[in-house]
Amino acid sequence: MKKIGISTKVALVSAFVVFSIIISIGAGSVSVRPGDVVAIIGNKLFGIPLRNAIEESIISIVWDIRMPRVFSAFAVGAMLSMSGAVMQSLLQNPLASSYTLGVSSGASLGAAIIIVTEISVPILGLFLLPVTGFAFGLATVLIVIFFSSRLDSNLRNHTIILFGMVLSLFVNAILTMLSAYFSQHIQRLTLWTMGTFSGRKWIHVALLMGFFVVGLIALLAFHRDMDLLNFGEEQALAMGVDTKKVKFILLILSSMLTGASVCFTGIIGFIDLTVPHVARKIFGSSHGMLIPMSALLGGGFMALADLLARTVLAPREIPVGAITALVGAPFFLWVYLGGRKKV
Amino acid sequence: MSKAIVCNNLSASYDKAMKHPVIKDINMSIETGESVCILGSNGSGKSTLLKAIIGIIPCSGQVLINGQDVSKMTRKEIAGNVAFMTQLSQVYFSYSVLETVILGRYLHMPHFFGKPTEKDVAIAEDALRKVGMEKLSDRQIGSLSGGELQRVFLARTFAQESNILFLDEPTNHLDLKVVSELSEYLDEWRKTPGHTLVGVYHDISLALALSDRGIFVKEGRIIGEESAKAIMDSEILKETYDFDVYKYLKNRENMIQF
Repeated sequence: MKKIGISTKVALVSAFVVFSIIISIGAGSVSVRPGDVVAIIGNKLFGIPLRNAIEESIISIVWDIRMPRVFSAFAVGAMLSMSGAVMQSLLQNPLASSYTLGVSSGASLGAAIIIVTEISVPILGLFLLPVTGFAFGLATVLIVIFFSSRLDSNLRNHTIILFGMVLSLFVNAILTMLSAYFSQHIQRLTLWTMGTFSGRKWIHVALLMGFFVVGLIALLAFHRDMDLLNFGEEQALAMGVDTKKVKFILLILSSMLTGASVCFTGIIGFIDLTVPHVARKIFGSSHGMLIPMSALLGGGFMALADLLARTVLAPREIPVGAITALVGAPFFLWVYLGGRKKV
Repeated sequence: MSKAIVCNNLSASYDKAMKHPVIKDINMSIETGESVCILGSNGSGKSTLLKAIIGIIPCSGQVLINGQDVSKMTRKEIAGNVAFMTQLSQVYFSYSVLETVILGRYLHMPHFFGKPTEKDVAIAEDALRKVGMEKLSDRQIGSLSGGELQRVFLARTFAQESNILFLDEPTNHLDLKVVSELSEYLDEWRKTPGHTLVGVYHDISLALALSDRGIFVKEGRIIGEESAKAIMDSEILKETYDFDVYKYLKNRENMIQF
């Protein structure tokens, strides 16, 4: 195997991210050259004058429409991937994700309740849906943790996974019943659960980036604990990790990351499952590296997936979750079956 | 002489309510610098006893480690006193050999964003040398054989620099050559003044080679103890395993001589 230095790998991944962001901003129904994209960003951020005349409408498309969308996609991809990496290590299960713990079903239920009851809260305005979704998503995970710890004082992984899946299915059933009963809302419900980055504004980017940065720093503080948990819970305990506390904090953190993503964009699968595996193949399992690199790769992939979602069948848009799953499903099989051969 | 481990009425169970205690009312003490093996048949509670002493499973009673009450110690404080090598288990995600051993320094590293210091790396490299794995320090542990992996884990345990070492069947599934190498490293470690070794071994001859004293466990209780030299002829060995171990080993020796 060829030896590529770690800094070269980081540089390559960073280049990939910059590339996918610039391409995603430039491509679409109106195509903008990468050079112009960079010029517009430079102009807006640092006041660098634009050399050649770029139409005002192009600037508006790039700055007001494309960029918020692309950066939202980046932040969501990054958060989902970090969350996936954490869940896989924490639950010592290469197939785990916060979706396993019912974050998405909980959030969908919360959103569905708002949609079918047509409640509105003036202070929250348009944010009522995401806030409720977030609260329900987090509440679902807390219920999972609460009952798992009642059932099993050591909060063992299989208890958490099993209980998470059971609750997830239960909540999904309620969701199905709601959709069947309030069929007049079914379209909005379906759209919400499919996930999209369409119509994102800078305020969304700001919120998502806030969650992303705080989440990244908080997770990095626990990178060694996660490394040790990879070697089994008893071993981690014996080496000085307060596993119960660490697990609780990390479960909440990674559920918040997923919750924030789901509540602003709907459910987008497969990124959280697959990106951490790619990052591990490139950078190894050490979380000090794995977490930030999963974030970069996931963000870049999500920006590209969204690009495909809005351009492949333009002017129609494919739900981005369908793109990630179309690419993610075969990829997942490849990783899973490839991994099994080694054992 | 000071006591490394003291257990008073220690019971432990895998359920929180302690409805089905696996070990019951254990009273024992281990001197600092002593090497002790815990002998008993499968399911007798040997491994559970080790886990209960360092408090990683629900237990009742009192345990003192180097004179301190375990229930009042943090996980890091306990790990600073006792290093515990669990049975060889499957590793889901891969690390390099050196990364793995540096993790043994966890309790010595500052908590937030802790980067290993030069000292941590030097101690880890030294631990790798002690188990003869220094040449493989860049390899991924996923590519190692069982014996190599167990040596890496032993190095990680050494890197923890705790003066009491607990071993839970360290040589399970390993080839004889690896067993003999591991026992050399362990023998060297235990002979260092101040080092206390407590082991649960599958292999009785290895247990005797690495211990000064044997503690016999049956159905979760201690049924006796014996100095290592006297273990083989003792009645208690037979009682522990419900089987004449001595006669069996003698017979096997004779078979080899044919």
